[in-house]
Amino acid sequence: MPGKRVFITGMGIISAIGTGVEETLVSLRNNASGIGPIEIVDTLLKSKLIAGEIKVPNEKLAELTGVKKNAYYTRTSLLGIAALQEAMQMSKLDPSRQKTGFINATTVGGMSDMEKYYFDLVDPTTKSNENGLADCLDCADCTEKIADHFNIKDWIATISTACSSSANAILYGARLIKSGQLDVAVCGGTDALTRFTLNGFNSLKNIDASPCMPFDENRNGLNLGEAAAYVIMESEEQLQRSGNKPLAELSGYQNFNEAFHPTAPSPNGEGALTAMQETIQMAGLQPADISYINVHGTATLNNDLSEGIALKRLFGENVPLFSSTKPFTGHTLAAAGAVETVFSLLSLQEQIIYANLNFKSPMPELGLYPVTSLQTDKAVMHVLSNSFGFGGNNASLLFSKYV
Amino acid sequence: MDLAETTPAFYLVNMFNPVHITSARATCAQDTFSNNNLPENIKVFEQNILNYHEPDYRQYFTIMQLRRMTRIIKIGLVTAIEALKDAKLEQPQAIVTGTAKGSMTDTEKFLHDIVDFNEGTLNPTAFIQSTYNALNGLIALHHDANGYNSTYVHRGFSLENSLMDAIMLFEENRIENALIGCFEEMTAEHYELKKKMGYWKNESMKNIDLLNSSTEGTIAGEGTFFFTLNKAPENAIAKLSGLRMLYNADEALVKTTFNNFLAEHSLELNEVDAVFLSYNGNIQTRHFEDAISEQLSSNTNQLAFKHLCGEFDTAAGFALWAATKALQHQVLHPSLILKKGTSSSLKNVIIYNQYNGKEHAFYLLERI
Repeated sequence: MPGKRVFITGMGIISAIGTGVEETLVSLRNNASGIGPIEIVDTLLKSKLIAGEIKVPNEKLAELTGVKKNAYYTRTSLLGIAALQEAMQMSKLDPSRQKTGFINATTVGGMSDMEKYYFDLVDPTTKSNENGLADCLDCADCTEKIADHFNIKDWIATISTACSSSANAILYGARLIKSGQLDVAVCGGTDALTRFTLNGFNSLKNIDASPCMPFDENRNGLNLGEAAAYVIMESEEQLQRSGNKPLAELSGYQNFNEAFHPTAPSPNGEGALTAMQETIQMAGLQPADISYINVHGTATLNNDLSEGIALKRLFGENVPLFSSTKPFTGHTLAAAGAVETVFSLLSLQEQIIYANLNFKSPMPELGLYPVTSLQTDKAVMHVLSNSFGFGGNNASLLFSKYV
Repeated sequence: MDLAETTPAFYLVNMFNPVHITSARATCAQDTFSNNNLPENIKVFEQNILNYHEPDYRQYFTIMQLRRMTRIIKIGLVTAIEALKDAKLEQPQAIVTGTAKGSMTDTEKFLHDIVDFNEGTLNPTAFIQSTYNALNGLIALHHDANGYNSTYVHRGFSLENSLMDAIMLFEENRIENALIGCFEEMTAEHYELKKKMGYWKNESMKNIDLLNSSTEGTIAGEGTFFFTLNKAPENAIAKLSGLRMLYNADEALVKTTFNNFLAEHSLELNEVDAVFLSYNGNIQTRHFEDAISEQLSSNTNQLAFKHLCGEFDTAAGFALWAATKALQHQVLHPSLILKKGTSSSLKNVIIYNQYNGKEHAFYLLERI
């Protein structure tokens, strides 16, 4: 949609590769993956599976964020506050001084904590309900806890479209700015690692017990992870008031459902293709203008093949440099789109392109080679980020260097 | 009234071009599905949970198909199918839904399976159906509807954000039509969870006595509502001209926002023909509805609806359905009327809904 422009002026992140942008960047530069044994989540699967777990216990997160003691903050909320704290400090905005909205994304919500006490909580003979935990199961609880912590109240929403959730949160926020509903949109997502999701994906038989290998011939599934990441977006007029220097412009986005299958992508990559194509068109760019694609690349058999086919259909023989950063963080579900947005912003800022770890040989059907080592000598102007999810929900975002 | 004097400039929300509602469908505790209207005799519930009056699914799906579908997916699919059929719309260009809880049945089943089977080999069906956008994806599949698709999961703002998303898609010239809906179910375990939070009345209360209640808490309900929206006015049965959300407000701000909302739409109080108020029998939160009710003119019909469908996160869907029906047929069902107004026709109808005192929403609907 032509007209108003949307700029990103703040970012914050916490994932298995670091608390904060600085630590994250060090890990990305050093090919240091955060995937390893599960220590914090109470699950029998820890003997079989690895994951991108953040090795910071809830008590430490509570300290780090300084949350109130008289309300229950789930791990999902705590991760969210930890990440947003950094983004808010970066953009130095007071939410009460302009129309500010919070568009959050999550798939597990308070399940992280509820699953530990669930059977006690639903037992009518017990009184257990520490600090109002019983109200924390849904997705809105963490959004409201986070919004209240930062005093954001002009617009509140939570999106849950599986693995594309926070990409959708970012594009909804951008549209609210363009339509004039908001001056500032705080968007992103948070998902803690849970026994619920570990067992869910395990039951779907698409978890690799070893480090995941996106776009590799011998890929065997994903690793799950946990993370929270947020960006602060401002309108052009608002930018003049705040005086913030943009990290980048959100120059394109698209949400497209391919209506193919409840959990699998179409074999011809139709949804991925349309999402990417229309995103690039919206920015008024050509496929050849894309410097780097942070692909969805979960390392499941279906996703990578379908996404790879879409890349070939869109870019032909000239597929841009691309990599999946899932081997660093694991698949962080609702947070993934926002995590990879932060990575895309850092790619533009630092002029670097990340390695697709664990890649050895290309898929024979496609012969596509991702970037396998950190690139520091490429000009990065436009970064495309893909998030594709269950239910055929595909979303792409395009970030352009602010010049 | 001068807006600038009462609120900071940034509270003014941009207006949007009215969107046309071309169909509205409801499945809830009352038999609203078979005739797409409130039945002559309202169902009376003796207990504090108003469960679905479920449609007959067999004319939509085979026994084999039904066996694979969970309760809320079945209800959601048939409600959406009928809304699309009413609008003669085969493939909506956008599907946006709101649900606070998704399929509670499946979330609970998977939680139990994890423990019962010791995290062993589990059936993934419950996990898949517990995802909040599962219904959305299935509607898209069922109607082969490619396009924009999203799911909002924010308590009393779920339906409202779904509508705003679609409204913006119209404004962006991206779509000509859309399917919007909300769905919620109540389970025994979820009732217990909310009971621990003090959501429900301790005593048994008949739904028809709810509005006269003098105690704390409310009664539980469930409901699924689907609407088709059109940019063009053809085949419209009502117009949605205004929508406003208000988070975490006190009574005074609710009042101010209501007045601003009217002023933004150039409406005087006596031009409002009916107002749906979200009274749910909870004396702790009724001051919000009272704050609106007290200032209404004698012209305005004051209506209530939660005694018919019970309380749930997306109960505003019931009011949106009932308001659309009232505008289409120019009739107010007697069971809705809390206080009769003198207005003889229905042109402007407002919905005020608050959920748990935290999420407040205002809707303005107009006659075609």
